[in-house]
Formats: sequence, C-alpha cells, structure tokens
Amino acid sequence: MAEGVPPMDEKAKRTRDLLASFYSPDASAALGVGGGAGVSPRRIASPDSINSPFFDPEVYMSILVQKLNMEGLLQKHVEMAAEIKNLDTDLQMLVYENYNKFINATETIKRMKNNIVGMETNMEQLLVKITSVQSKSDLVNTSLFEKREHIEKLHRTRNLLRKVQLIYDLPTRLAKCIKVEAYADAVRYFIGAKPIFEAYGDSSFQDCKRASEEAIDLVIKNLQAKIYLDSEPIEARAEAVVLLKQLNFPVDNLKTKLLEKLEDYLLKFQDEYKDTGVSACNATESSDIGQLPDTVSVGDISKIIRAYLIIFPDSEKRLIELVQKLFNRRYGIIQQRIKERMTPADLLNMMRAIWEDVNVMDEILAEAALPAFSLEAARSIVQQYISTSFSYLLDEITDALGKSQQTQKEVVEECPYQNTLEASKKTIIQGSLDLLLDFRQLLDDNLELLAKLTDLIVDWVQEGFQGFFEKLNEQFLVLCGRGYIANPDSCQVDAVQMDKVQAGLVLVLAQLSVFIEQSAIPTITEEIAASFSGGGTRAYEHGPPFVPGEICRIFHSAGERFLLLYINMRTQKISVLLKKRFITPNWMKHKEPREVHMFVDLLLQELEAVGMEVKQILPQGLVRRHRHSDSLGSTTSSRSNPTREDKLTRTNTQRARSQFLESHLAKLFEQKMEIFTKVQHTQESVLSTIIKFCLKSLQEFVRLQTFNRSGFQQIHLDAEYLKNTLKEFVDDEAAIDFLLKEVVGAAHERCLDPIPLEAPILDRLISIKLSKSKEQSQTSP
Amino acid sequence: MRGPSTGIVYGGLKYQARCITDVKADVDHTSFLAGTLSLKEENEVHLIRLSPSGSELICDGLFYHPNEIWDLKSCPFDPRIFSTVFTSGETYGASVWKIPELYGQSNAPQPEQLVSLDEHSFKIKSNMLVSVLWWPSGKHDRLISIDEGNIFLWSLDSSNKVAKVISQESVGMLQNLSGGAWDPHDRNALAGICDSSLQFWDLRTMKKTTSIEQAHIRDVDYNPKKQHFLVTAEDVSGIQLWDLRRPKFPVKELPGHAHWTWAVRHNPEYEDLILSAGTDSTINLWSIRLPGNEGSSSESLFDSPTTLKDSLINSYTDYEDSVYGLAWSTREPLIFASLSYDGRVIVESVKSFIKRK
Repeated sequence: MAEGVPPMDEKAKRTRDLLASFYSPDASAALGVGGGAGVSPRRIASPDSINSPFFDPEVYMSILVQKLNMEGLLQKHVEMAAEIKNLDTDLQMLVYENYNKFINATETIKRMKNNIVGMETNMEQLLVKITSVQSKSDLVNTSLFEKREHIEKLHRTRNLLRKVQLIYDLPTRLAKCIKVEAYADAVRYFIGAKPIFEAYGDSSFQDCKRASEEAIDLVIKNLQAKIYLDSEPIEARAEAVVLLKQLNFPVDNLKTKLLEKLEDYLLKFQDEYKDTGVSACNATESSDIGQLPDTVSVGDISKIIRAYLIIFPDSEKRLIELVQKLFNRRYGIIQQRIKERMTPADLLNMMRAIWEDVNVMDEILAEAALPAFSLEAARSIVQQYISTSFSYLLDEITDALGKSQQTQKEVVEECPYQNTLEASKKTIIQGSLDLLLDFRQLLDDNLELLAKLTDLIVDWVQEGFQGFFEKLNEQFLVLCGRGYIANPDSCQVDAVQMDKVQAGLVLVLAQLSVFIEQSAIPTITEEIAASFSGGGTRAYEHGPPFVPGEICRIFHSAGERFLLLYINMRTQKISVLLKKRFITPNWMKHKEPREVHMFVDLLLQELEAVGMEVKQILPQGLVRRHRHSDSLGSTTSSRSNPTREDKLTRTNTQRARSQFLESHLAKLFEQKMEIFTKVQHTQESVLSTIIKFCLKSLQEFVRLQTFNRSGFQQIHLDAEYLKNTLKEFVDDEAAIDFLLKEVVGAAHERCLDPIPLEAPILDRLISIKLSKSKEQSQTSP
Repeated sequence: MRGPSTGIVYGGLKYQARCITDVKADVDHTSFLAGTLSLKEENEVHLIRLSPSGSELICDGLFYHPNEIWDLKSCPFDPRIFSTVFTSGETYGASVWKIPELYGQSNAPQPEQLVSLDEHSFKIKSNMLVSVLWWPSGKHDRLISIDEGNIFLWSLDSSNKVAKVISQESVGMLQNLSGGAWDPHDRNALAGICDSSLQFWDLRTMKKTTSIEQAHIRDVDYNPKKQHFLVTAEDVSGIQLWDLRRPKFPVKELPGHAHWTWAVRHNPEYEDLILSAGTDSTINLWSIRLPGNEGSSSESLFDSPTTLKDSLINSYTDYEDSVYGLAWSTREPLIFASLSYDGRVIVESVKSFIKRK
C-alpha cells in the first residue's frame, strides 16, 4: 500500500501539472503550482529529474550513461518503455472521457429548449381573467356606497342626540348625587360629559356647563372638607382624594399642605418635648424626663401617619423621612444631655420612652426600619455615654490634682500634698467603682434595645477602662510637664510649664501611680470580672480589651519614673546651688574659715523641704537600723577612718605620691560602696537617695577646683558640719560618712597645701553653728 | 546587664587623670594618649599602645608635662602632635606639642613644645581654658581653642612652629563656655556648651547661628556618620540626641547614668553605637536608632520600659572611681579606652555585642 500510493500520487500530480501547463498561457506560473517560483534554478541544477520542464534529454542521457552500467541502462530502458506505454494509455482514456461528457452536455441543452416553448401562452390567459374579476368588484362597491353612508349618518345623529340629552340632565343628576353624597357617581358623570363641555361649552351648552361646573365645584369643596376632616373614616378620605385626583384637582398641593401641617405638628411636639426635657433637667424630678407631654402623644402621631399613609400611598417616603427626623432629633437631644453628665437611670428612662414610641411607630411604618435605626442610635449613645463618663472621671482626677497647686498658693495648709494624694486616690477608686455601678445598671436593665447591646457594652466598658488608664498616664505626664508626647504641637507651652511644675506634685503622681498599680487596678479588675465578663463579640486578636497586666506595668514604670523625676528635680535645684557655691569664689585666694558656709544652710533648707514633701506623701519604710551595721559602711569607717585621719594630720612634707598610692590601697581593701541603689517608694529611700546624689555632686564639684589651704579647711569644716546635721534626715550614716569623706578627700587632693583645721577649732566652729541653727529653729516657729 | 570584665587594664598612670584620647593618625597601631592630673607632682603624658595580639597594653612613650592636664587632644593627621590644656595654680595655658623621635628609648624627658596658644593669657581676667579642638575629619590647618568667655580660631603651621589667631569671638558676660565640638561634616560649624544652652557658631563670620536651649550640658559629640545629628550629656537629664534641623526638642532621650553623665561619644564607624561615661563609675554602651528617612516620631524619656532596656546594651561597672575619659579607637572601631579618675586606663572591646545583634 505504502508503495502503491506514492506512484499514484505522483502520477496524478503529473497529470495535473501537465493539464495546468496546457491551459495556462504562462509556463512559469504553472510551475509555481508545483514548487514555487524560487525553486526553478534548483530544478535546472538537477538534470536527472525527468519531470522537470527544463528537462534536457541529452544531459540526462549523458548522466545516465555515466552513472549506470550496461545492465542498469537496460533496466532503465525497460522501465522507461513501460512508463511511456502507461502514459499513452492514460492520455487515451482522458480523451475518451472528455468526449463522453461533451455529448451529455449537448443532449441536456436540447431538452431545455423544448420545455420552454409552451409556457408563454398560459401566462397570457391568466392575465385576462384577473382583469375581469377586478372590474366586477368595483361595480358592486359603487352601487352600495350611498346606502351605507346614509346609515352611518343616521347612527351618528342618534348618538349625538343621546349625549345632548345626558348633558342637559347632568346638573340635576349631579345635584341628586350631591344630595346623597354619592360623589363618586357625580365625578364619573361629570368626567363623561367633560369632552362635550370642552368642545361646545362656549356656545350651545353654556348654561348647562355652568350649572354642572357649579355642582362639581361643590363636590370638590365637599371632598376637600372631607379630607381635612379627621373624624371622617380613613377609607372615605382616601376615596375623596382619588376622586379629586380624577377631577384634575391639584392633589399634590393638598398633600404637601397636609404633610406640612403634620411636620409643624411634629415640630411642636418636639419643641414641647425638648422644653419638658430641659425643664425636667432643671427641676429635681428627673424621672419625668423621658415622659412625653400630655398634649401630644406618639399615639396621636402614629394615628395621623397611618391615615396619611392610606390617603396618600405615594407619600410613604416623605413620612419615613419625617419620622426618622423626629427620632433623630430625639436621640440628638439625648446625646446633648449626655455631655452634661447624667445618671444612668435618666439615660435609661429616656431610652425606654423612645423605644416605646419606636415600637408604636414601627407597627405603622415598618419600612422606616426604625428598630435598626434606633439600635444604631442607641449604640452610639451608649458608647458616647461610656466615653464621656470616663472623660469626666479623668477631669475629676485632674481637678483633684490641680487643686493642690492652687490651694498651695492661696492658703498654706498643713500638708497640702497629703490631702491631694488622698483626694485623688479616693477619686480614682470611688469614681471607677461608681462608673462600674452605673454601667452595671445599664446592663441589668431589661430594655430590649440595650439587651441587644450587652456584649458591646461589656466591650466598651473594658475598652473604656483601658483607654482611661492610658489617658490618665498621659495626663500625669502632662501634669509634670513631660506631656509633649501626647501633643507635640504644644511642646513649647509644656516646656515652659516644666519649670512651674511643683516637685511635690510629681511625687504625688509617683505615689498615685503606685496606688493605681497596687490597689486600684486589682479592685477594678475584680469588679469587671464579676459583672463585665463575657463580651468579645468583636474579634480581638490580642485578647480582651482590658488588660490589667499591661496597665499595671505602665503604672509601675510610671511610678518609678515619676519618683526618679522627683529626685532629679530636687537634685537639680541643689546642683545649681552647689555649682554657684563652687564657681563663684576664687578658691586660690580663700580666706581662713570663720564659720560654716551659708550654702550648707541652703542645702539643709532644701533637704528639709524635701523631707516635708516626702513625709506627706510617701509611706514610712521599714526601719532599717540594721543596715547600719551590716552594710559595708561600718567596716569602711573602722578601717579607713584612722588612715584618713592619720593622713590628714600628717604634715604636708608627706609626699602626695605615696598618699595617692595609699588611698588607692585603702580603696582596694574597702568594698565598693553601693551609693546608687534602687529607689523605693518610701520616705527614707527617697530622701537618702537625694542626699547621696547631692554629696556625690559635691564631690565632683570639689574635684574641678584647686584650693588653697583655707579653701580646703572651709570644705572640711562644711563637711564635718554636714556629717552631724545630715544624720537627722537619714539613718544611712555609713553612706553619708563615706561620701563626706570622699568630699574631704577630693578637696585634700585638689589642695596645694592641705593642712586641716585643728580639731578644737573645728569643734568650736561646728558647735557655734549648731547652737545658732537651734536658736533659729526655736524662734522661727 | 553587667558583662564580665573583659577589659585590659593599664595601670601605668600613677596619678589621677581625666583625659584620654585616641591617636587618630596612627594607622599602624591602636594607640591612645592619656594625661595625668596631679596638682603637686610632675605630670605625665602616656602613649599607650594595644599590643598586636590585642591582649596587652604597652606604654610606648612617657613624656613629662609641666602642669596638670585638663584637656588632651591628638592631632588627627599627625600621630606625633597633640594639644593640651593645663593649669598651674591660677594660670591656664594651652599648647601644641610634638613627640620627639624616640630612637628606641621609651622615656623621652619632655615633648617638644611646638606652639603655645597663649593669646588667652593676654586677657585681663584669667579665664579658665576649657579645651582645644582639632577638625576631626582630617588635615586642616585650623585649630580652635575655647576658654570660659572666648573662642579663638588659630591657623597652625606646625613645621614653622607658628600659630596665629585668625578670628576671635566673645560669648558675652553672662554666658560661660565649658566645652565644645567641631562639626566633622562642616568645618565652619562649631558647637559650644554654654551655661543654659548649646550655642552654634559659623566660624567664617564668628556669629551665632542656632542654639539648643538645654541647661547643664556636660559634653557634646557630633554624629560622625550622619550630618545634623549630635548627642549631648547632661548632669541630670541623661543623654539626649538632637537633630539640628529641629532644635526645639530632642529626637531621643536616654536615661544616662545614676549620677552625672560626664562624657558621651559616637562610635566612629557604627552610627547607632553610643558610649557614655558617668560619675557613678560606670560606662554605658547604648544602641540608638535614629529616626532617619522613616517616620520621625519623637520618642522621649517616657518610652515604654522595654525599648529603654533595648537601647542600653551593656553597662561596664568595673571602675573604682568616676570615669571622665572616654575614647573610641578610630583604627579598630569596636575598641574603646576609658580612664577613671584613679588613673586606670581600661580598654574594652564591644565586638561580642555587635555580633549578637
């Protein structure tokens, strides 16, 4: 098969090519069918292809002779002979076939000619017959036309006469209808006659038209009256409207007029409502707030609306708008009232009253979607209520704190900070608990509207507390002049305030933070857990909205920071004092010390002030007398005292170098004094921290100066005096001794000629100063 | 927070000391200069070199200095030149010194005094000299000296041993200068620490440009990598970072030290590393994240506690006394030297903290 197909194909192809070349005038175009124009040069190149049009027998022969041997040539000859014979037969067959087809065609044409000959005569006959039919029908038509026209005329006249009769009867009929109040019939008759009046009303039926129009006017008047009449049954009023509409009476005007009337009515109602609301607010009986005034009630309004709905079915949209506006206003009133802080009972009363009305309305105007609308409104109202409650609490606390600053200026109280602290503490805890109680009331109420919001309320309350404490923290920062994080725009104002902020207030804030962390938050958390658990309808990815742990952490660190800030503020003040003391005089030309320097008094005064504040606000710490012995202090004093004293009493011939090494050695054996320990929220801790801070600063200031002998002696004297007096403030003698020693040591190092005062002189000067200050303290109070 | 004491201690300073500086121009060694502060004895300047193994501190030169040294700066382009500010009793002076060629011996008796910046002493009041500044970013023949009331701009010709005053500016009677810093990004900008503010001068006109109103500043350092940023150290409020384009309030605040923060330095290579030394005998290593291109939220002291802890990387507490001297090494940016008042130089590496990040 595979072998048979290609020769067949080739054969067919060749035939086709040949035929094509025969019919086509251009040989190259025929060639294009076979292989495309560009192939011809290649064809020339292969002379052995016998089918090519460029076939050259001589070349072919020479190639064959060259290529093949004798046997091959013979075989090729046989092949070619056979092929030629085949081609011959093919050609013959083609010729025969074509001849056959030609004969067939000729026969067909002959037959067609025969068939067409008879057709023309038939057509002519048909035409004649149709023409005769048409002429006969025309004849009939003309003969009948006159009669028909007559009949039609008669008929028209009859109709006209009947109508004229009707119109002449119309006024009487209308009057009859009015008498029996059959307005519908009257309208129907009138509308029937209306086209005639329009056509001939000015001429023949003038009287008739006037009479009937008068009657219809009466009808319209009656109908209008009927519509305005509330006592009429609603169906009758609706019918009247329909009739009026049929009479082309401007019903829309009527409608708007009516609706305006309704709106006025509602407005009046609202005003009265508002008036009563305000008046009730002023009056003591606040339970009436939610009640409506007696003159108008939602029931009436609902009745009116129902009527209107039936009378004007297309006015629904407008009515819905009106009603929604009404309730919107009422909710708006509540929202305004909320801003003025109200009790939850009041809120509940108001909400309940509105809810009842909403239910009434909903029965009539379901499309207004009032419950959903109310839910939305209630949602925002409750949310606003909760947030305003919190902001009021925040304000209260701020007031409580701010009051201290004012009262201090006006009246010198015994212990203003203590009062402030207590007041603020009370405000925070009491205020928070009251708020919870209020919210609880909201939750417990069985108002349907709020019941749907329970979960949300729980969330809001929790959120509210979270936000409240965060805001409180920020408020604290603002109060101590550090609040520019919250409002970077007003940083300058705050920066100015920073100088005015009282250190005591900062301390109060510190203690308040501790209080919040340690007692307020646990209490509130407990309360919340008891009554506000659940909630969580909104998906919180980070757990419940109120995270007491986080708040505790915030306030814990805030407490510590306020305490540090307090210490910083206090020490800064003292630092300035010390700086002035050390920079002003020329220490190289210092005169012999005559008394303890003034700055010691100032320092002690400052410390006393700190002590006063601290005592008011901070709790007393544990009595830590034992620290005295177990701390490194005692060991240092026992060990280093002699060396130091020794050193000081030695003459200045002693080489400083060995002194330096000596102190080095001494230090090596001493344990490192932990001066800067963690501050605790106790009186002692804060006070001792401040004192340590100042003494350390003193040391640093000394190190920056160079002293002559007298200068050194002065410092020594001051230090010795301080040693006695500072003990009154703290019991951490060891640290104070150590630091004062450091001060004297530093002065010693920075002195060109370090000879200490003789002990008796020192003692005398100190005792003089002591007695003097005692006198002062006795006279001053 | 307290790392193990990994520091290499150099105990060669026999007296109390305040100043240490990195020898910036020494490209072959990591070396520091430290000067002593002894009222009565002959003071010394030590050239301290970190051994190539990095495990030892070697004294590479010991030079006598006539007076106690309050300020010591190494020349940023010549390792053998340094400047000091000194006092003897009531008089103050400032000099530029040259370390003589050593020829093997380690003890040269005294460095060669190139120039004495003695314009200051011509003033009627003997103002307390506070510091001498070299332009920190390379070769520049100008030098600034600051005393309590004046700023002098010198032209220094070290080969001819001449220094001339180019311009001078008085701060005014009410303000006292106590230090300063030269902007490494702009050789015409100078920051000076005044009593209640940080003042900036344009050295071309010698006029004040801006100021940061902040009292009690102890030290100031420009950010070497980021223009317009600098850090200040205050007595009480700790460390504050500033953006000079918004000088009203700090970009960031760090709590600083338990007592005063005395010195603060940016790392020369890693812009988010800050080192501070305090009178509470500690050195704190901070990591700061400056508000760069992203949102510039002003953070403050009252950040949440976690971020504060994050910014303090390590606290070196192995000191016996207040630490006044602090210097990063320019050659090995992860190494710093510190000097406490008792004369101990401690060199520490912060590598371990960097890797951990």
